[in-house]
Amino acid sequence: MDDVMSRDLISDLPQSIIESILTRLPIRDAVRTSILSSKWRYKWATLTQLVFDEKCVILSNDRCKVEDGLVNFITRTLFLHQGPIHKFQLTTTHLQCCPDIDQWLLFLSRNDIKELVLELGEGEWFRVPSCLFNCKKLTRLDLFRCEFDPPPTFKGFLCLKSLNLHQVLVSPEAIESLISGCPLLESLALSYFDSLALTIRAPNLKFLCLEGEFKDICLENTPLLVAMSVAMYMTDDIAEHFEQSSTCNFNRFLGGVPRLERLIGHIYFTKFLSIGDDLGRLPITYAHLKVVELNQVSFEDMKEILVVLRLITNSPNLRELQISGSSNTLAAIDAPDLDFWEDECPSNCTFKQLRVVRMTDMSGVPHEMEFIKFLLANSPALETMSISPCVYVMDGRLNMLIELLRFRRASAQAEILFIQD
Amino acid sequence: MSKVDMAVIKPEMMKSYIWLQTADGSIQQVEQEVAMFCPMICHEVIQKGMGSSKNYAISLPQRVNPAMLSLILDYCRFHQVPGRSNKERKSFDEKFIRMDTKRLCELTSAADSLQLKPLVDLTSRALARIIEGKSPEEIREIFHLPDDLTEEEKLEPLKNTTDDPRIRLLNRLYAKKRKELKERQKLKNIEVEEERVDDRSVDDLLSFINGDNGVLIDGFTDEIALLLERIVKFSSVVFASHVSFSTSMPKYLLFPCSHLGEVREFCFADSKGIKNSKSKKKNRRRKDQQKNTSANEAIKNHNKEPNGLNQVCHSAEVGQKVRAGVGATSNLHDVKDDIFDNKNELDDGDIDDEIDPALKEKIDREVEDFARRLNSDWPERMQEILSFGHERKPVHFSLNGNGSLRRYANSEQR
Repeated sequence: MDDVMSRDLISDLPQSIIESILTRLPIRDAVRTSILSSKWRYKWATLTQLVFDEKCVILSNDRCKVEDGLVNFITRTLFLHQGPIHKFQLTTTHLQCCPDIDQWLLFLSRNDIKELVLELGEGEWFRVPSCLFNCKKLTRLDLFRCEFDPPPTFKGFLCLKSLNLHQVLVSPEAIESLISGCPLLESLALSYFDSLALTIRAPNLKFLCLEGEFKDICLENTPLLVAMSVAMYMTDDIAEHFEQSSTCNFNRFLGGVPRLERLIGHIYFTKFLSIGDDLGRLPITYAHLKVVELNQVSFEDMKEILVVLRLITNSPNLRELQISGSSNTLAAIDAPDLDFWEDECPSNCTFKQLRVVRMTDMSGVPHEMEFIKFLLANSPALETMSISPCVYVMDGRLNMLIELLRFRRASAQAEILFIQD
Repeated sequence: MSKVDMAVIKPEMMKSYIWLQTADGSIQQVEQEVAMFCPMICHEVIQKGMGSSKNYAISLPQRVNPAMLSLILDYCRFHQVPGRSNKERKSFDEKFIRMDTKRLCELTSAADSLQLKPLVDLTSRALARIIEGKSPEEIREIFHLPDDLTEEEKLEPLKNTTDDPRIRLLNRLYAKKRKELKERQKLKNIEVEEERVDDRSVDDLLSFINGDNGVLIDGFTDEIALLLERIVKFSSVVFASHVSFSTSMPKYLLFPCSHLGEVREFCFADSKGIKNSKSKKKNRRRKDQQKNTSANEAIKNHNKEPNGLNQVCHSAEVGQKVRAGVGATSNLHDVKDDIFDNKNELDDGDIDDEIDPALKEKIDREVEDFARRLNSDWPERMQEILSFGHERKPVHFSLNGNGSLRRYANSEQR
């Protein structure tokens, strides 16, 4: 405190600020601060968030050296660390299955770990050790490419709020019981599972993200669901299974989510919803549903069109709609059931809040055009309708445009944008 | 007042102000909505009703000087307007944060004391950006940090790949050994003249050793040193963490503690080197002991703080301050095992060789007495220890009569 110019600027800031600065540094830089001065020796050691990623690795051509280097770095960091560790994230392609990881997890399980993210390389999948199931305070668990095998006595993570399993080898019963065993679960993401039949019971669930080959999904108890994104891949046997099923998938999936605000469906999602007998009126209205995005809707399949209509007519507050088509133009030139649009189509539904509509991958098939016409005629607040033709359609574009010109618009300020790539 | 009258009154007169006082005594008034953006000011106004007039100005924390206050108020003035877009706010922040490092640190401190979290986050991010990717010298330069770690302490624990800890330890011990040999040559002459008799009783010793604070004991002779060595070795006493002895000769002792199977370490520092040493700092690792079940007490050197794994690799440096790694982990034990494989050769037999038998007897008696006080089951433990003394895992250092150290398989010694 002699000369103002040479006075230490930063070491006397409160520890909470120092930690917030060190947390924003890559872990290597944060640990390096220990050699700055005697005050800084252990400032990093009480950080509660440790994030190891590709930046920790000193690259070289020798694979083993890189791997060893990374393992040493993590081990020593954990060893020198003091205090609880709330977040541990390891994202690297340089490490696969390795006995050190078991030891790290054991160490973490004794240090009040709350958030654990483990994303390893593409080699042999890492098998999650049983000490993970003893992490009682876990609030977030992200696992990529692991084998997950809970012991029979495992009841669930009572504090878990976010679960993300990506390419994880686990039995279906284990997943279901894991989901039910986490009463506070708010966010669930499951990707790349094979032929999974899943019933989800999660009373606090708000965000759901599913991607993979699902044989069956039933949202049995998810009353608080706010946003969901589903990508369903379908193999032949799953399709067969669906043909034989008679339960109404739409109701099973979307029947119990009154608070839904965003719905995104990919690939075969609409088809999945279309399977099953139509039970007539939908029991609930999606009063909060504002954004709907459905991809790969086949406008040749009447059932799929019905699904879309059913969804949007029960969403009085819908603001944004995005649909991408996947029709085979050649097959649809002569389209059956075109009179549906005049006869049976719900005529007195108005999309009072609908502002933006995006139709992509349009092939110009009759049903697509009728649908657009239907939307234009019933959306008094529409601002933008953008249409992008499918890349394979070259000749039909002019026809599409001609038809579009004729359509009546309920909204005076609606702009129709035809987007050519 | 009628409605018409109200409309005539200028809007400014209806605005309310809050009075703020900075640590230097200057008082200013600030528009209410701007000042209320700071949680701390908000709290003062609402909970305590302060700030309504000049006499009741809110005293701001000391870290907020007028310059910083004006910066913070600029920030608040912009952000408290609700209608701004995220983009606008971001670009304001980017411009706002452009200032020299000194002011940035002061601003962080001031914002923290006013509990203005968004500004603290913004400044922390900016400081992190400054630190990221720079070398330690550059960082020290920017923040005016004192370069007060010794070379060894700067040992980067995270150097990867080719640094085998065992090799490093070996190198360091070799270097230290060489230094010590030189010193001992010099000191041997001095020691002959300075034979001081220490007539401190065993009681004093006890209280020193069992006390909580390390105490500098001056002028111990070989005699007491030996006494202690034998006591510790043959008893299951757990000593207080830091005891430091200043002798005229450097000594280096490690005592195995049978019931814990660990290594205790005593540090004998050279009186010349550390006469004006600073006060001992509490061994940081003591905190760990609450967590680690295996008591991991290491003696701290005067100036330095131990550092986990590094202890294996740290060793004596300038001024013959000596410290070897102490660790209760299997890692370290393995390392030590490999290096110190020939400990079996070393035993106390050697010590006895060069001591006067009368003195030896006296020491024996004192040892016994002392140990009895510290540890009631002395004879049994004695037996126990003697019977499997050599098989114990941890490192074993022993002291020759003339104080020359013997260690592991260092052939230099013999």
